[in-house]
Amino acid sequence: MSKSQYVRANYQVNATPQLKMLSDDQCESILNGALEVLERTGAEIHSQEALDVFKKGGCWVDGNMVRFPSHIVEWAIRNAPSRIVISNQKGERTLFLEGQNVYYGPGPTNTYTIDPFTGERRRPRKADTVRAAKVIDALPNISYAMDCGTVMDVTPTLSDVHAFQAMLENTNKPIIHWGFGIDQYQDIIDMAAVVAGGLEALQQNPFILLYSESSPPLRHSVEAIDKAIFAAKNNIPIVYTPCTFAGGVAPATMAATLVIAVADSLVGLVAGQLVRKGSGFVMGGLISTMDMASTILSYGAAELSLLSAGLTAVARYMKIPMFSTGGCTDSKVIDTQMGLEAAFSILIAGLSGANLIHDCSYMEYGATSSLELMTMDDEIIGMVKRILQGVEVDDEHLALDVINKVGPGGHYLAEDHTMKHFWGFWAPTLINRLRYDGWKAEGSKPMAQRVKEKTQDIINNHKPEPKSESVLAEIQAIVDRAEAREANKR
Amino acid sequence: MSNYYEELSQSIISGQLDRVKSLTQQAIGAGNNPIDIINQGLIPGMSVVGARFKVGKMYVPEVLMSARAMDAGMQLVKPLILSEDIPSAGKIVIGTVKGDLHDIGKNLVSMMLESAGYTVINVGVDAGPEKFLQAVKEHQPGVIGMSALLTTTMLSMKDTIELLKEEGLRDKVKVIIGGAPISQDFADEIGADGFAPDAGSAADLCKKLLA
Repeated sequence: MSKSQYVRANYQVNATPQLKMLSDDQCESILNGALEVLERTGAEIHSQEALDVFKKGGCWVDGNMVRFPSHIVEWAIRNAPSRIVISNQKGERTLFLEGQNVYYGPGPTNTYTIDPFTGERRRPRKADTVRAAKVIDALPNISYAMDCGTVMDVTPTLSDVHAFQAMLENTNKPIIHWGFGIDQYQDIIDMAAVVAGGLEALQQNPFILLYSESSPPLRHSVEAIDKAIFAAKNNIPIVYTPCTFAGGVAPATMAATLVIAVADSLVGLVAGQLVRKGSGFVMGGLISTMDMASTILSYGAAELSLLSAGLTAVARYMKIPMFSTGGCTDSKVIDTQMGLEAAFSILIAGLSGANLIHDCSYMEYGATSSLELMTMDDEIIGMVKRILQGVEVDDEHLALDVINKVGPGGHYLAEDHTMKHFWGFWAPTLINRLRYDGWKAEGSKPMAQRVKEKTQDIINNHKPEPKSESVLAEIQAIVDRAEAREANKR
Repeated sequence: MSNYYEELSQSIISGQLDRVKSLTQQAIGAGNNPIDIINQGLIPGMSVVGARFKVGKMYVPEVLMSARAMDAGMQLVKPLILSEDIPSAGKIVIGTVKGDLHDIGKNLVSMMLESAGYTVINVGVDAGPEKFLQAVKEHQPGVIGMSALLTTTMLSMKDTIELLKEEGLRDKVKVIIGGAPISQDFADEIGADGFAPDAGSAADLCKKLLA
């Protein structure tokens, strides 16, 4: 079939379906709102170093209150890179945090975890982060690691350092990791440098993103803002993520909640850019509503998806990579509520084009982590990624010749064209599509059972590619050094 | 003579600040005993609010509207009573522990306690063991409440308890703790007297401990 190519000129393609929650005009209004809040209301800064950085940079400092002239914030937005590339631990460029690329991963610092073998909800141990890292390493749609719980069977102030060691030893995927303070951040960077082959190699090809949470509204603790400054000094990208929940730390309206979230992110951005122009910054983060009956910050709310997609639109408008949320739930157990809340937020976050989507392991409004949820999320993400591939429309995919050849009443099962293209169908690994008798023959297992078995199988049998003995020894030496330091503090 | 108590309670429940003010004023004008206005008008209304919140029949902003209305009524009545006669269910010192700036939950608990008739001394955020100790010495509360959001800062709760022991004050005061990472197990581990998972049950816990 020959056809004029002329129609292809300026042919519009919707290659990936997108959900743009806010128009550019709306994004501009939100950003202007945040700029006004920063210039008029300002933010409370609890770090002397940060106050000095802001003052030197031209911000208006009065005690620990800082107000930010809009031109300085706009300067910071312009100078932050619009793209950050994160490698895996073998140095292969893996996560392209640019445009609307999406990558999913679990979440950090839960105070409980559900044991995938016993079903018990208990305090996380270092061995749980070992398990988590193995599961992360094995699941194809989980693109990076986070610790999946604050480990509590180690020196309390080194929970972060031990969790990082557990991840380094059990996965080669990129890692987003938090730290209690600057000392621990230094430990973490030093350990990462060992893996990357030196600090310079790590800076040029980072496989870690540091992670810092501020305390909205408009309040930045020493730890939060100093970590943003530390990351910029060391030229390691940071995720700066306020936890903004409507009705609690922000007004009950969605637009105002976005304003607070953007303003608080920009405080971290300005600090980083003033310390090192062009330092890597990823805007967070967690944004939802406070449930007014229970006072929890809801991880399953429709507003989590609504607000996260809105914040992603503003981040994209500013051309700053975005750290969003999905795959999480308020449910306490592996159940239907978990499945539907996780699926909903994974889909909306994917459609919104947020670069890093975290918390694909968060149960019980973030209090508890679950590797089973992560395993199930991996399946959901697979489905969502298929949807994000969109519909290809060209002569090969329109297949008019094949349609004509088979004709009315025929079938396509034996066509070469079918053979070539049916591989594009998304194939489930956990979702069951067997006929009834086949399902029964396999033990009539419900989804939760299949999820549990797959998770256990990974933990028991997955062998992550090991690191060399010398690298592991150097990492251990840094952990020992940290232990000695903390022992001296006591 | 109308005593306005039933209407006062109802207006507290519906969170109508102006209505509570004018009813309280009218009740005072009609010659009612100020202490009765508190005990039979204001507090019964707030008790209903607390009970409804606990079972999920009222939302937090509604509760805070009620608390605000109650406080407006109290402000009108208080000047008419000698301070030692103002009804109080007991004194409670409350604060967010050292290194922690998160105080929304703590402030919510504080408001719930005040509404339940307790006198609350709020020592604010980033409060170290010394600050709690000083408050205990100064105010001699029946209970101190400590709040933390972070797994690192929650360890400071134990330091406060240890310091109270060293100073020989541990037996004089009940210690309760709360916050996202806190559990009953943790409370037992550090030797606290109680743990409440939410603002609604914090007042019940104090009632139990001070009974």
